[in-house]
Amino acid sequence: MRSRSQPWLLALFALLTVAPLAAGILYALAYSLGLTGLLNTGFTLAHWQAVLGAGVFWQALWFSAAQAVGAISLALALALVVVLWRPGAFQTGLLSFAIYLPLTLPAIVVAFLAFQGLSKSGLLSRIAYALGFIGGLEQFPDLVNDPAGIGILLAHAGMATPFFILLLTQLYEQERVAAYADLAATLGATRRQRILKVQTPLLLRRAFPTVVLYALFVMSAYEIPLLLGSQSRPMVTVLAVEKLQRYNLADIPQAYTISVLYSVVVIGATLWLLGRQKTQ
Amino acid sequence: MMKTIPEHVRNSWRRRLLAGLLASPLLWLALLSAGRQWPYPALLPLEWTPEHWSRLLTGRSDLAFSLFFSLGLSGGVAVLITALSFGVSRAVAYHRRRRYWLLAAYLPYVFSPVILAACLQYFFLRANLAGAVAGVFVAQVLITMPYGVIFFTNFWNGHIRSLEQLAYTLGSSRWQATLYVLWPAARGTLLTGFFQIFLISWFEYGLTQLIGLGKAPTLTIKVFQYVQEANLFYAALAGTLLALPPVVLLWINKRFVFSRML
Repeated sequence: MRSRSQPWLLALFALLTVAPLAAGILYALAYSLGLTGLLNTGFTLAHWQAVLGAGVFWQALWFSAAQAVGAISLALALALVVVLWRPGAFQTGLLSFAIYLPLTLPAIVVAFLAFQGLSKSGLLSRIAYALGFIGGLEQFPDLVNDPAGIGILLAHAGMATPFFILLLTQLYEQERVAAYADLAATLGATRRQRILKVQTPLLLRRAFPTVVLYALFVMSAYEIPLLLGSQSRPMVTVLAVEKLQRYNLADIPQAYTISVLYSVVVIGATLWLLGRQKTQ
Repeated sequence: MMKTIPEHVRNSWRRRLLAGLLASPLLWLALLSAGRQWPYPALLPLEWTPEHWSRLLTGRSDLAFSLFFSLGLSGGVAVLITALSFGVSRAVAYHRRRRYWLLAAYLPYVFSPVILAACLQYFFLRANLAGAVAGVFVAQVLITMPYGVIFFTNFWNGHIRSLEQLAYTLGSSRWQATLYVLWPAARGTLLTGFFQIFLISWFEYGLTQLIGLGKAPTLTIKVFQYVQEANLFYAALAGTLLALPPVVLLWINKRFVFSRML
């Protein structure tokens, strides 16, 4: 058979995908252990101790994970409600085009829009003022650059909701969810039972790998937390880049330590997800 | 006597309202791009001007350069990666350890581009590629290649394999099988893959910033720069320009924008 794999193509693939990732992580590991870099003094675990012992890294990791879970949960819940309420709403007519429009915006533009919409002098604050809900911009709550990360969460949820509506709409058809719901109704299930015991589990089970991947993307996001995040509570990506770009050279090994730890989390989660899919 | 509004009219208005809501971020961007002076608590900018757009269209704004620079960069990355990853995906799809090769593609695909850039910055500095357009091009090649391979691997299914085998059985050369069998079957997938790779590059910010060090003025870099300068009208203009190609692609074919993979 002629369709045998060509080794040079696979070598090229490895050179452009696996090799840079491996080289980058190994370099970061070596830097974090004091084996290379401007201030290296030989093997040391001091940078690892500094990162793992400091609350800021754990806080950033926890905050990133919480943001990912929060934004995805919100977006998924909204998308589920919409799709279960009107499964075919986005398949024909004007809405079948309009639902894609938010997907045309890059993260940096979403961050800019969220900033313009949610900041103290933003559009929402002006509308609140015009409606008489607030007497001035100082009365508007902190929705961006706030320690709770409300702006980051809303921006990510806003980006993810149309995506999940499209995904669940597709799955609703593919998995013949309507047919199963009809069957359940024939067997006497109430509307609530059909939603909670048939439709939602069917959709969520099929959407699970994509949902986890999307959560990893949110956890790895940079532009939105960079613009909308708080200095006192950065996400992991922002923390790593901040430490890397600071004038203090002693921070650079810590930046690489954080990068290695991030790599372990992301690679571990990906392997778990793909392994889980294989066993299923 | 009060007339009741028919159900289909109510639904039609609801749909239009929702469509308007979904389009509102884009419309708001376009509106802001033509604004000037927006003091609190005005709901809309106090002045409207075509100046930002006319400066862009007459080439007097550095955004014009950024627009063409971004188009060139993303177009170049998309052409190269579509061609490379399509070929590589065939080797991956037909390999007996396909699963492991795909896993190798997924790892860099889910990895944060900005962390990857942080980890690779040293190598780019050593290769004199940091702070250079060529470096940004290479960096974007590294993040789009895994996506291309994952995307195109799905194309090489049993049906395509059977078609290829049939062509060879009937005496086709490799070239003939590619030109007359694979190319017609792959054209649509290649076009979709091309545009999706284009958009990954078009939307990229963190890696471009970290490797380019400001020497690769893409539109995403300009948006951030304008935001930092508190120049919201130009940021909106750059944002509108960023959204234009995806909207046009969406108009042509929804599949160009929405990937089923993610």
